[in-house]
Amino acid sequence: MKHSTKRIAALLVAAGLTVAGLTACSASGTTNTKASKTIDVAYWNYGSGAVSDNTKLQKGFEKANPGTTVNLTPIAGAGWGEYYANLATLIASGKHPDLTFISSEGVKFLDQNNLVLPINNYLKTDPAAKKIESDIAPGLIKSFSVGKDITSLPNAWNNMVIYYNTDLFKKAGIPAPDGTWTWDQFEADAKKLTTGGTYGYAWTGTEIFPGVLPWVANQGGNFVSSDVCKPTADSPAVNKAYTFLDGLIKQGISPAPPASNDLITDFENGKIAMFGAGRWVIASMLPAGFKSFDITRFPTGSTYQTVVGASGYPILKSSKNPDLAWKFQKYAASAAVQTSEIGTATAPFDGIPSLRSVAAATVAAGIPPANTKLYYGSIDNYKALTPFPAPAKYTQFESAILQDTQLIFGGNDTVSQGLSQMQKDLEPIVSCTS
Amino acid sequence: MSAPSVRGIGGGVLLGATPGGEKRSLHRRHGDGLAAAGFLAPSGVGFLLFVLAPAIGVILLSFYNWNLLSPPTFAGGANYIALFNDHHLLAVFGSTTYMALAILAINIAIGLLLAVLLEVRMPRWIRAFFRLSFLFPFVVSSSAVALIWRFLLDKDFGLVNYWLGFVGIGHINWLGTTQWAPVAIILVNSWKTLGFSILVYIAGLQGIPNEVREAAIVDGANAWTRFWRITFPLLSPTVFFLLVINTINAFQVFAEPRVLTQGGPGDSSRTIVEYIYDTAFQGFNIGYASTVGLTLVLLLVILTLIQFRLSRRWTFYE
Repeated sequence: MKHSTKRIAALLVAAGLTVAGLTACSASGTTNTKASKTIDVAYWNYGSGAVSDNTKLQKGFEKANPGTTVNLTPIAGAGWGEYYANLATLIASGKHPDLTFISSEGVKFLDQNNLVLPINNYLKTDPAAKKIESDIAPGLIKSFSVGKDITSLPNAWNNMVIYYNTDLFKKAGIPAPDGTWTWDQFEADAKKLTTGGTYGYAWTGTEIFPGVLPWVANQGGNFVSSDVCKPTADSPAVNKAYTFLDGLIKQGISPAPPASNDLITDFENGKIAMFGAGRWVIASMLPAGFKSFDITRFPTGSTYQTVVGASGYPILKSSKNPDLAWKFQKYAASAAVQTSEIGTATAPFDGIPSLRSVAAATVAAGIPPANTKLYYGSIDNYKALTPFPAPAKYTQFESAILQDTQLIFGGNDTVSQGLSQMQKDLEPIVSCTS
Repeated sequence: MSAPSVRGIGGGVLLGATPGGEKRSLHRRHGDGLAAAGFLAPSGVGFLLFVLAPAIGVILLSFYNWNLLSPPTFAGGANYIALFNDHHLLAVFGSTTYMALAILAINIAIGLLLAVLLEVRMPRWIRAFFRLSFLFPFVVSSSAVALIWRFLLDKDFGLVNYWLGFVGIGHINWLGTTQWAPVAIILVNSWKTLGFSILVYIAGLQGIPNEVREAAIVDGANAWTRFWRITFPLLSPTVFFLLVINTINAFQVFAEPRVLTQGGPGDSSRTIVEYIYDTAFQGFNIGYASTVGLTLVLLLVILTLIQFRLSRRWTFYE
């Protein structure tokens, strides 16, 4: 009898542990039973700023809509690509958030996996949304669209501009650029700025948007075809852009890849006179007290196109409460929220407000740099790069481009050889058949 | 009868002389077995859930196409056929093998050298300082180590090139060229893992009886002869252990290439584990990533079997 008891006890312990383990594994897959008043929002936790911004959004929405609950799910990731991978893992584990924070790079990823609920019907019937939409540059809406389907109202965005060190320009006797540069003028100025301890221009080797893409765009090129179904890395426009950048490296104007580990710090320290980035860098430079910089457009090649990327909270098709989710998306893009996020000259918002009116308020607030009006002006006054070069497998797409780019700029391949290899590497990645 | 009796010592068979006593002892053995099963159950469940089930899952997934978000579709042997058409895979196996062999050689040879040097007569505090210095990188997170080295190895502003400049060596592009990127991975990984090898070697060296060495000294053997004829043979089981463990670890390097070079330029510093990760979580091709994972398992099993087979020729057990 004693033995039976022991045996049963042992079996119970084992079974208990098994059940506990399985329960723990499946806990994330539990469905939302309070669907009517609760929404789950997944967001990219790239740092303390993301946590505080999303918490502020959560509290604000709950206050504006009494009785509702917003559950936040922070998702880690060193970059957008890693974030999307972790988001996919979350969804595969059975958890289906009502909304998820994404950038334009993730639009096709959600669409091709049939995850996103287009907001076209809401936009047609919701007058408040129409008002928001009319205050957003059409190029931003386009970067969040697949065909005629609009994925989300963007709540913020970034465009790629040149940051230049005003002290170094003065020291070299070069007048501040007025945005009408040609590539030749840019190269001549960058050469003058290059000294023993300073590179005239540098670009990141870890992302294509602030790196090589603006140069490709300003030759009228792109890495993908107009339907984002085929790669175009071996096109003459891409070749011309890479040849120009390769020339900067060979002349010692730009560092060979990988560029510096920390472009912002090197820029602040005067080791780099110019670099390309979005508005996010001011959120590091201004709190650090560095103000000797301004921004200008990328130099014009055969054309000029603004390279943009927006962010927003699309509604997932699996949402138990799409109406409340829509309300949240609209709230995140509203003037009240965007105005509250403008920040100050020492603690600014790290993106550009998607609403033109709020962007104007940012300029009026006097937040550096001096040419802040260029951020929104670049999309209002110039054509945005289309199509948005982000196939469904964006992470793999960007990684392949960066790998082959490094071989070219590192001197392992000629520009033509490298781009030909890039084309081959991208062919299985850029495809419209799943 | 003698063999079962010996096995039964712990269970008390030898203590029970009468038939009744034997029965009680058997019951006791039976009870002990259940208790043992109870104690083993947590590990057993853990093994089933986190080792065996995922391993079976990987084998099954290798026959499917799955992008995490859509339902898996049966692919038959397509993922296995794809192995032969993947020109990146061969390059990645090549770079992995190159880096793994170098890391292994450094751990086995330099680890032994440093362990022997640490065992020579010296003040205790100096010995403690060196031991701690060598072991410290091993206990620090791989990603943190790689992140620090990324700054140290920076071509233009890194300390390594700054110091090399004093001896007339120009700026080396450690992380940006196909020649130096794998070398950087080898150096950083070896710097991190060497401490473990040294620690195990020291334990092995301290297990060698002093009398044997003293006898060799009395017989007139010089230091070199003592090392090769006495120390190394007695240390051979330790060397074998480190060879097996370091081989497996060296083929699974991930954090250093991920943080330092992202596998580049091209595939020059990409490891097979990084390739599996990229295939699964950048390409969302879980089925093919599982197939590549199985090729790594196969390679490691073969290498380990070869090491075991060859070890009989050179490993000496007292």
